[in-house]
Amino acid sequence: MEKTVVSIKELVKRYGDLIALDHFSLDIYEGEVFGLLGPNGSGKTTTINCLLSLLAFDKGDIEIFGKKMTPVSYDIKKEIGVIMQNVAVFDELTVYENIDYFCGLYITDKNKRSQYVEEAIKFVGLEDFRKFYPKKLSGGLLRRLNIACGIAHKPKLIILDEPTVAVDPQSRNRILEGIQELNRNGATVIYTSHYMEEVEQICTRIAIMDKGKKVAEGTKDELKRMIKNTETITIEILELPDRIKAEISSLPHIYDAQYAEGRLTVSCSGGKHNLIRVLDVLQKNELSFGRVYTELPTLNDVFLEITGKALRDKEE
Amino acid sequence: MQVFKAMLKVMRKRFPSALVYIIVFITVSVMVTKASTKDNKFEASTLDICVFDEDDTPESRALVEFLGKSNDIAEIKNDRKAITDALYYKRINYALVINGGYAEKLKAGETADLFGSYHLDESFSTVYISQFLDEYVSSVNAYLTMGRSADEAIAATEEALSQETQVDMLRVDKAGNSHFSVDFSGYFRYMPYILISVILSVVCLALITMNKKDIRYRTNCSALKNSSYTFQMFFGSFLFVFCIWLILIIIGAFLNEEMYTGRAWLAVLNSFIFSMVIAALAVLISSFEPKDNIMSLITQITGLGMSFFCGVFIPMEMLSSGVKSFARFLPAYWYVRANDMIAEIEPYSLNDVLQCYLIQLLFAAALIFVTLLVRRLRYSSASIGSAVKKAAANS
Repeated sequence: MEKTVVSIKELVKRYGDLIALDHFSLDIYEGEVFGLLGPNGSGKTTTINCLLSLLAFDKGDIEIFGKKMTPVSYDIKKEIGVIMQNVAVFDELTVYENIDYFCGLYITDKNKRSQYVEEAIKFVGLEDFRKFYPKKLSGGLLRRLNIACGIAHKPKLIILDEPTVAVDPQSRNRILEGIQELNRNGATVIYTSHYMEEVEQICTRIAIMDKGKKVAEGTKDELKRMIKNTETITIEILELPDRIKAEISSLPHIYDAQYAEGRLTVSCSGGKHNLIRVLDVLQKNELSFGRVYTELPTLNDVFLEITGKALRDKEE
Repeated sequence: MQVFKAMLKVMRKRFPSALVYIIVFITVSVMVTKASTKDNKFEASTLDICVFDEDDTPESRALVEFLGKSNDIAEIKNDRKAITDALYYKRINYALVINGGYAEKLKAGETADLFGSYHLDESFSTVYISQFLDEYVSSVNAYLTMGRSADEAIAATEEALSQETQVDMLRVDKAGNSHFSVDFSGYFRYMPYILISVILSVVCLALITMNKKDIRYRTNCSALKNSSYTFQMFFGSFLFVFCIWLILIIIGAFLNEEMYTGRAWLAVLNSFIFSMVIAALAVLISSFEPKDNIMSLITQITGLGMSFFCGVFIPMEMLSSGVKSFARFLPAYWYVRANDMIAEIEPYSLNDVLQCYLIQLLFAAALIFVTLLVRRLRYSSASIGSAVKKAAANS
């Protein structure tokens, strides 16, 4: 049986009339990279704050490593590493001193800490920058320092709250690889983000949140199976009479066909050879077409279908 | 002691900007101390005189030479108009004429008509030179009477009159006790400005850095107990304030090694209490987390404002009653009052001084109380909640 690392039961958090978390429950198991997906205001950060006992909640229970989490659960906090969206380091301390400071909040033994700090520096690839002050580091290097400060004490549970916001693609890939490596080394990871590609890439299990509620939970394949859409076909075509569009819509397994700006988008639900059948209709009616491509459903499709809104539209 | 060590590192980084205040303070203190030392030390004064030797004998020349050792002898034309002009324009303080027959009369033991003079009536220099000449002639006569030769009598007289006496300036306080007069009040008077400037510009900024929202968040997530965190922060602040205060006290000792005698220790205690008040003020200001440029403005306004309103830069007796009434609500006023009392610029009573200490301590307590209140509001979960709520509402 899988060991539960985090258990949230029926969590309710209200701010006056606003319900930030509405009977939210979640179990996260040892060794998972768990993705918490949702737009701003969906309750991700509130969940994390409640989880870390930084925020009092109205109802529910939180257990971490099988123990009830309270603001004075220092033995539990010792095993948790937190990496936030904002870079939280001292401008007045060097890279080494910063990591040493945050590691020192968990590890008091100087020799052990020194070894851990060196390992963290190596892990994030800041060996050449240990004497640099944060202001001298680029955005990507700063993010790496931020991560090193959160993981230097080798926590068993790592919480990453949107760590790749405003990070260049190269640094983002490095960060994601790092998270996977931490997971391979035995850490359980909770990863909150609104970047679906990242969540798809690294998370073994995902919960989708909206308006303080968990609207779906499972592996990415399980989530994709929850929705009607199994395939989206896009065909570039100069003109499409309504008659032919209606004919395409009536094909088996096709539940929607939209034509806009010279592009026909066909949504399919299950079935095989959908693309061939659509192209047959176009050829039969002697309509010429340009590029043709098909896409499997993404988490954005999952989110769109479950909540009725696109995840990224809310953000950017 | 991770937080404490980090705080010291942050303060070390911030310290150079505060160094300029210390340098200015030392410069001003050196000037003030030098001026006060000059006032308190005895120094024999010299006069500008001119001598007309109408006798021109070895005895008269010996007198001229001896006078020249302790006075500045000016060359003036032996002309009544020239001499009165020189006296009027204060180029000289006294014009001495050694009358002809001086040597003969001196040997004969006569004291009348030995000298003539031009001088300003009742002036200090007239009295001083007249007394000196009387003493000189009396002494020579005494040695002659003892059977010494004229040369021996003159030599013995010069030797006797050349002896200097060690003079210590004593001050008698209102209780009638006399003690050495060392002006410590001037040094301690300017201390509030430097304490405010240095403590606010270093401790405040260090505390703001340590309490930055994201860093505080990360620290709150850690295994460090809240009580330990708070203790280390306060200990770091206190240690810095104590060191700055101690450095200023030590500088005082270097500027004047007799600085800390008698009541000066009360002034030392006064400055220590004031340092604690400013430390409490720094903690309160840091709770509002002002930005660096705003903090610099606050430091200037607080430092200069308290210094001008409370009699640090301008003596309290020159301040209007309205300003003084307002200044009563500022801790520096009670510091300066205590300092003035200790230095006897104001009537002294130990109870009054202790009262000033107590009022300053009450200021510190009030500032700590307000700080706790502000922090409770700012760092409570409700505050985190309202931030999250705001984010939710904005989305």
